[in-house]
Amino acid sequence: MFILDTLLIGSLRFVLDKVVAAAEAEMNDDTALREQLLEAQMRLELGEISDEEFAQIEKDVLARIREIKGQQQGAITMSSKDKISGVEVESWKSEG
Amino acid sequence: MGKTTCAAASACALSALRRGKRARVLVVSTDPAHSLGDALGVQLAASPRAIRRGLTAVELDAPRAFARWIGEHGAALGEALEHGTWLDRADVDTLLDLSLPGVDELAGILEIARLADSRRYDHIVVDTAPTGHTLRLLASPQTVAVVAGILDALQAEHRLIREQLARVGRPEAADRLIARLAEQARETGETLRDRQRTTFCWVTLPEALSLAESEDGLAALETNGMHAAEIIVNRVLPAAGPCPICDRRRADEQRVIARITRRLGRGRTLRIIPASLREPRGVAALAKIGTTLSTTEDAEDTEKKTGLALRVLRRPRGEERVPFALSAPKGERTVSPESLDVLRGAKLLFVGGKGGVGKTTVSTAAAIRLARAHPDRRMLLLSTDPAHSIADVLDARKEAIGDTPKAVRGGPANLFIRELDAARALAARRVDLEHALDEIAHSFGADASAGGPRGAAELMDLAPPGVDELFGILEVTRLLTPERESLRSSARSSARGGGAPRASEYDVIIVDTAPTGHALRLLELPDAAREWVQVLLRMLLKYKSLVRPGQLAAELVDVSKSIRELQTILRDASHTRFLVVTRAAEVPRFETERLLTRLRRLTLAAPAVIVNAMTLAPGRCTRCRATAATERRSLAALRRRCGARSRECVIIQTPLSAPPPRGVRALDRWARWWTLDRAQADG
Repeated sequence: MFILDTLLIGSLRFVLDKVVAAAEAEMNDDTALREQLLEAQMRLELGEISDEEFAQIEKDVLARIREIKGQQQGAITMSSKDKISGVEVESWKSEG
Repeated sequence: MGKTTCAAASACALSALRRGKRARVLVVSTDPAHSLGDALGVQLAASPRAIRRGLTAVELDAPRAFARWIGEHGAALGEALEHGTWLDRADVDTLLDLSLPGVDELAGILEIARLADSRRYDHIVVDTAPTGHTLRLLASPQTVAVVAGILDALQAEHRLIREQLARVGRPEAADRLIARLAEQARETGETLRDRQRTTFCWVTLPEALSLAESEDGLAALETNGMHAAEIIVNRVLPAAGPCPICDRRRADEQRVIARITRRLGRGRTLRIIPASLREPRGVAALAKIGTTLSTTEDAEDTEKKTGLALRVLRRPRGEERVPFALSAPKGERTVSPESLDVLRGAKLLFVGGKGGVGKTTVSTAAAIRLARAHPDRRMLLLSTDPAHSIADVLDARKEAIGDTPKAVRGGPANLFIRELDAARALAARRVDLEHALDEIAHSFGADASAGGPRGAAELMDLAPPGVDELFGILEVTRLLTPERESLRSSARSSARGGGAPRASEYDVIIVDTAPTGHALRLLELPDAAREWVQVLLRMLLKYKSLVRPGQLAAELVDVSKSIRELQTILRDASHTRFLVVTRAAEVPRFETERLLTRLRRLTLAAPAVIVNAMTLAPGRCTRCRATAATERRSLAALRRRCGARSRECVIIQTPLSAPPPRGVRALDRWARWWTLDRAQADG
């Protein structure tokens, strides 16, 4: 029973860790947006999009980056320094 | 220098009937700006043409030779690329179809190897490109070896799978090609180093400037394990009656020859070709020179024959006070560079022409005069010839001038001088590019190939021919345009470093280019490079789900932007001009005419031709008078080409100076004596 508990709690914790990491990445990391901008630049150099189209994409991407930065300073304050130290799990049956 | 004349002359002599036997000789020109046909007086092309019995001549068409090589081996090459990378067949074909801008040297060495292989000739005489690029040609067997190594690594995994799974041990086309390339690289390298099979003849002029270049060139050859056994000093003035100009020149020439003997003569045969009044053109005239070249005689015999004394003459008293003697008539309407209409408003000025016509002297003199006339403008004199000679023209120490812009001692404070180190320009980007290549290699999973730090470094060593020159010319864009914000400019600025003046850059750049063929190649580079960059960008987009467009993409976007800017600057006639320097003689004139045509095709403005070192005041000297007469005829022909009344292209004459002007003061004074061609101005 003890082993099972450890496994259960361990994997639960792993999953939760991942969820938090993903959320963190989504919020902190503007890599995806930067890549989007780079791709637009590539297409501009290839003549696939016009200067105006590029300017529009650039404007959108920059706006979203600003938005993310704004959110980071607002509601949730979780930086890469913060770690999950443990997860509490209650089980009713084990007592009884 | 007369390389072509000497090569053609040697070939003529080698193919002469000797004891009833005739050797089969091929003379091949590898200079992208050929003049072998002009010297032989026949029309030459990329396929060998028989000149007379035993003598065949060919002017190598490097892009065509390379295309043929790709045609022969493209399939096998494509296989190796397809096996070693994730590129599909269509991508590989697109890559193989692109023109390689700096392929001349590579194609040259492959072609020489092919011709030597064919055993159809007993002797092959190679008329090479000017110094800087010939040294690259001679180093290219190493490049071929590196290519073979990289291809081998690309093929390795595929070979392993075939051997272990399919149990096929038979080499396929790609393996055979790789083995053949490695073999050719090794053999050609060996042949070039083998003194029994290869002779290098170093051709030079009896001028201090040429001596300096010869010293550097010969040292570079020795470093590569190649030995020049002969030095040919071309166009040496023979003894003649008194003349203030000729006497001065003769004395200077003899001093230079004495220095050549002392510094470079040990263990080498020194041959002297006297200057003839008529340009040696055609087989008969060349064969005559060839006989002097092929006889085995040492310097002393030559001395007796030509009446030259190979010892240092004491300078006559009073000579020191007059820095140089000019062949310039008094009372002529002079136009010094700063008063030239065709230079007004120019931001980027290219000075180019055939090797040895005096490009560096003209560009340096013009730079000094322009900078003095406009003290409020920052000017840069930039040499892009790998065999730099600005330091020599300025009579400065070699170390005094380099890749970091410096003001000249005694010169205008607003004039900076830089001898571009293309390799360094590439090296500055190298770290970035290596990272980018590694990134790509890892994503493509081709660890054995371009992957791993060694692979990327090796790829960069290979420096696709011409890439360093591309980054070199892109420097011009950077220097002329204000620093722009790029995705990665902050990262790069530290890598570029150097004590270069801050972002304010320069108002005017004067570029002292390499001789014709390579100057044109440099100007054509942006177009070819843009095509490459676009193909690579398209591939990165195609595979973006496999490889995230990272550093390499950012790097390419950056390069693409710089190229676009450079193209805009080059095509802008209000800012960019090309000054063509030439001599009033037939062979340089032919090259000048071809150069003008090519420049027009590139839509580059070429508003002036500078005919350098003209005998404008022949006095009573018979030799000077004869020279002046020949020059007048040649000038008349050039005038017809430039259009007598046309404002399109003016002709400027500069007076012959003995010795050629060296140092800031002499250059400054010499440039005051430039004249506008009167016949054209009056027309």
